[in-house]
Amino acid sequence: MVRALSLVRHEESVGSPRLAVGDDGLVDRARRGDVDAFEQLYRLHSGRVYALCLRLAADATVARELTQDTFVRAWEALPRFRAEANLTTWLHRIAVNAMLERRRGEKRRAARVSLADDEDEAEMVVSGVVMAPDVATAIDLERAIGALPPGVRRAFVLHDVEGYTHEEIATMTGLAAGTLRAQLHRARQLLMRVLSL
Amino acid sequence: MSEHTSPEDRLDELTAELPREVAPPPDLWPAIRAELAPRSGRTIHWNPRWRLAAAGLLVAASSSIITLLAVRSREPARESSVVASTDSAPTAGERLPAHLLVAERGYARSIDALWRTLDERRDSLAPSTVATVERSLRIADSAIAEARSALERDPANRVLADLLVSNYERKIDLLRRATELAPRT
Repeated sequence: MVRALSLVRHEESVGSPRLAVGDDGLVDRARRGDVDAFEQLYRLHSGRVYALCLRLAADATVARELTQDTFVRAWEALPRFRAEANLTTWLHRIAVNAMLERRRGEKRRAARVSLADDEDEAEMVVSGVVMAPDVATAIDLERAIGALPPGVRRAFVLHDVEGYTHEEIATMTGLAAGTLRAQLHRARQLLMRVLSL
Repeated sequence: MSEHTSPEDRLDELTAELPREVAPPPDLWPAIRAELAPRSGRTIHWNPRWRLAAAGLLVAASSSIITLLAVRSREPARESSVVASTDSAPTAGERLPAHLLVAERGYARSIDALWRTLDERRDSLAPSTVATVERSLRIADSAIAEARSALERDPANRVLADLLVSNYERKIDLLRRATELAPRT
């Protein structure tokens, strides 16, 4: 399920997604169909996109597919990308949309109402982790995040990890402000409990 | 971690330590690249001028369809016999209105002049670009020929007359853009 991430801590602040130097020129070239320029954009941004997908999906295979989907969609939509927008935020938005669409598809296929955001499932999923004796102090935050229910996890990852504001998340996900606040509160409560903080 | 740190603060600390980047699988880019291939193959030499030219061509191609629709809507009983000639030079234009014949001669002069300029600069263009230009011009010629043929059968049709004129103008615009792409030698 959730893999330990081999990680390179990025120095930037959570609230300021990277806008790499030279992005503008690359975006311009990629917009005109230059695949080499797009590959450079991929090299610059794929780490952040993959990290987001990995945390949203809590599954490496799904994260890979989402990342692939994100960049293919980005390539197709790049001519419509506004120069003044932040490329990382734009890519993240595409990734979140891809994730949401995937979840909707899964729900339809399952032909049932997902209980993923249900409070009971939240308890069940996380308590599964808590059950193991003394594991709470050992478990890392990544795994605890991965054990959160998808909706709660998405809110936490976008807000607390990626640093997006409530308004930005509402735009990305279509969540009502009250729902988002509730999910964030729930996520933090669950994580603190699982991590025995 | 301080012993006096609250759970909320501790969670924030841990969260802040999470990496913002995780290296994706190394074989991911080739997989993405494979999906981009269809578009990149078409647009590898793309630039804003070519986008405009392509947009013009799209309209030209659309106008061919409109030509057919215009003819069919006015002559429902007549079977369409539009021939997609690649030669847009004015020929057998006696059946066209006089003002269009005059306009065609003007367009022909402009087109000849632009062709000469383009021929002179052709060597400075990449072969693929030349191929794109030629392909685009063939489409433009086809659109002109279709509109012209339809107009010969229905000289009073103003929609067709407008289409013919706009197709000529688009061809000239294409040629002009092509010459602008080719640096003076």
